[in-house]
Amino acid sequence: MRWQIKENESLKEKVFYTVPDGGPALFVFPRQGYNKKYAIFSTRYGSIDHAFRWNDRGQEEEIVLPDGVAHFLEHKLFDDEEGNVFDRFAYYGASPNAFTSFTHTTYLFSCTDFFAENFSLLLNFVQTPYFSEESVAKEQGIIQQEIRMYQDNPQWRGYFELLKALYARHPVRNDIAGSVESISKITKDILYKCYYTFYHPRNMAIFVTGDLEPDDVLKLVEKSLTGRSFPPFNLVQRLYPEEETAVNQREVTLELSVSQPLLNMGFKDTYSHLTGRELLARKLSTELLLEMIFGQSGPNYTALYEEGLIDEQFSFGFTAECSYGHTLLGGRTENPEKLHERLLIAIDETKKNGLATESFGRQKRKMRGEVLKSFNSLEFIANNYLAHYFREVDFFEILDILENISIKDLEKRLHTHLLEEQHAISIVYPLKNGR
Amino acid sequence: MISLKSKRLPVNTGIHLLPTSKFKTTLVSVSLQQVLNRESAAQTALLPAVLKRGTKQYPTLRDLEIRLEELYGATLTADVVKRGERQILTFSLEVINDKFAPGENLLQQGLSILKEVIGTPLLENGGFHKDYVRQEKEQLAREIQGLVNDKVNYALERCVQEMCSGERFGVYKYGSVEELQPITSGGLYDYYREILRGNPLDIFVVGEVDIEETFSLIRETFDFGRSSEPVKLPPVRVECVPERVSYEEEKLPVNQGKLTLGYRTNLSYSDGKYLDLLFYNGVLGGFPHSKLFQNVREKASLAYYVFSRLEKHKGIQLIGSGIEVKDYRQALDIILQQVDAVKKGQISREEMENTRRGIINRLKIIGDSPYSLVGYYLDGLIGGRPEERTEELIQKVERITKDDVVAVAENIHLDTVYFLRSTDEEEGGAN
Repeated sequence: MRWQIKENESLKEKVFYTVPDGGPALFVFPRQGYNKKYAIFSTRYGSIDHAFRWNDRGQEEEIVLPDGVAHFLEHKLFDDEEGNVFDRFAYYGASPNAFTSFTHTTYLFSCTDFFAENFSLLLNFVQTPYFSEESVAKEQGIIQQEIRMYQDNPQWRGYFELLKALYARHPVRNDIAGSVESISKITKDILYKCYYTFYHPRNMAIFVTGDLEPDDVLKLVEKSLTGRSFPPFNLVQRLYPEEETAVNQREVTLELSVSQPLLNMGFKDTYSHLTGRELLARKLSTELLLEMIFGQSGPNYTALYEEGLIDEQFSFGFTAECSYGHTLLGGRTENPEKLHERLLIAIDETKKNGLATESFGRQKRKMRGEVLKSFNSLEFIANNYLAHYFREVDFFEILDILENISIKDLEKRLHTHLLEEQHAISIVYPLKNGR
Repeated sequence: MISLKSKRLPVNTGIHLLPTSKFKTTLVSVSLQQVLNRESAAQTALLPAVLKRGTKQYPTLRDLEIRLEELYGATLTADVVKRGERQILTFSLEVINDKFAPGENLLQQGLSILKEVIGTPLLENGGFHKDYVRQEKEQLAREIQGLVNDKVNYALERCVQEMCSGERFGVYKYGSVEELQPITSGGLYDYYREILRGNPLDIFVVGEVDIEETFSLIRETFDFGRSSEPVKLPPVRVECVPERVSYEEEKLPVNQGKLTLGYRTNLSYSDGKYLDLLFYNGVLGGFPHSKLFQNVREKASLAYYVFSRLEKHKGIQLIGSGIEVKDYRQALDIILQQVDAVKKGQISREEMENTRRGIINRLKIIGDSPYSLVGYYLDGLIGGRPEERTEELIQKVERITKDDVVAVAENIHLDTVYFLRSTDEEEGGAN
């Protein structure tokens, strides 16, 4: 049997997995009753992979590239000799898209009809680069406007200022799209070099979901691989500069056209490499802990809300990637300095008073329900499945990993991660002269 | 598509069931409609905020949240949305299916919380709890002032406000800070009782439910002493031919200029020709293959985003884009050329077919999300086509011709050009 079937009792779901000869890993998740079919094709190549060592016909070489190449490549891969592959998806009624994160790049489409045609289009355009100097130049104008749009987005700006405060060297501190200046240095040759390094089947995976037969999907993948040959995978190592344990800067501030200040607070984790169940367990236990300290049923939320220090958009979470991790929390506030102080006090109080078993049980229940709710969305399932695959864990095990977390794990996170010396803040203030 | 099983009670209340086993959750959504008015918009917007602060049985945010957590993190939301010239109070509750929590009967338990929030608020001296009202007034004022923080939406909203300054539709969905100030907890409660008694109320349930049982359960749960003399809301004003185009310009310290165009289509969702308008919008700017994206972004590289979209009940079309301030004239020219091209019938066979398939695709996936199902049928209720299924719309879309598209284009008129620009540049600008 070609398929390995991963069945999960807690979710009552199963996913079919195989690696076609010479191809990328393939996952098919049949979902009856849905009209939508959703397919994603991802490479483990994101904005943080801007320096690496590769093997160029026997010679090892170190490469450092301008920021924003992975994202630029994502835009340009839609081009082919005939123009733009968007048009052909449109012909089959599909809605194609792509996104670049810190750690991977994903190409996708959703459709209801012509699945075979659309899926073949996706497979073929991602596996067929076509870059020209002219089209690279044209894209610079478009991406410049994308960068400028984000520059006017206060949440985005506050978030990146915080990442810069947390990290001194790790490339997560750099904007995913790069800067207007860095993208002007991107050439056709750079795009080809990165393409052939990172868009190798060994570094890629496909996830397909909808009312589909796994064997039909596999046939289409095999067909797209016919006649293709891939040189050996030539990526030797991704180069992430050694990051200090300590934060880079305690506090950064900026002024923007906003009605109200914005506080972002982060706690930097100390691992330099972590994967698998351990990484996901760390995320879940940290988020349960944050929920217990800062959530709506916790001892702090109501007072902060009633004093106007936070609003409904106050949020928190833990980012768990293989090469870095951090807790982020914050939101809009009338008084960022006071909110900062109160959040630190809340953590101290929790350390003093300990964690309540009863609240822990409820938070686990809540998280279990939230995971199940999000499984209504095909996009959520597919995107998370591959993101976790690249972190070397089966996302369908999430409820089982959650079940095994104990209050001791949370205590450990409280005393080793939420440390004052490991935190930094960024504050966005309204402009002094007018809004 | 899952078909709607509806019952209308004599008290202006509709119960609509969408039985399906495809989701892992059951969603209950309650919509209470009110006409959008400059004088009452802030009051209406304040209601969901105050109601979800506490009930008689769960007097604080914390009490309420603890109860929801016990039900596997049931999601309870309360907000106000704008549909045409109506403000709709929307309460929803989503619980996981009982097969993931055997023996719990989460739906019934969840419904009793939803009922509390809507029907049994925390009261004090014959009004809402004073502190809650005061705090929520402050939060809502900040929310209204916070519109400017999101420049993409700010530009679209400002264009609508300028364009419809003398109409109900020009009122922001949360009202204004000025109207918020004089609201008292007693006055607000009286206002709530009045609309809860007579305004149109609709309850939707999506999930694996037994039809007869759920009808009775919903009817018993949501018995708010409704009046048998229902309030009839005024119709939306759609027809408008502007005498001339208004050009509005606003300066803020921004990196990117936002160019927004507001059009009167003279057609709305309740009109038989609405699908032709939807098609028109698709050809012009609803998709990546549309004229706006192809010409403003792909050919001229002037923008990262450029789109057109409809407000279906009011019959307004907005075109939005983010550009360099200096490119104002060039971008505006290209946009106007595209609108003109559609009007003249310069639409290729490919543009027609791609748009047709794109629209059909969007209609077919409505049934794949409980929230979009509710949104779709709610639009049907507001637009006076309550039980129409997407299959019927798809059949009509199959038959739309280029002539149909050109025919609706003839009644579409540019009303307002709004430009949000930076404070420090000389080039460009509106005339």
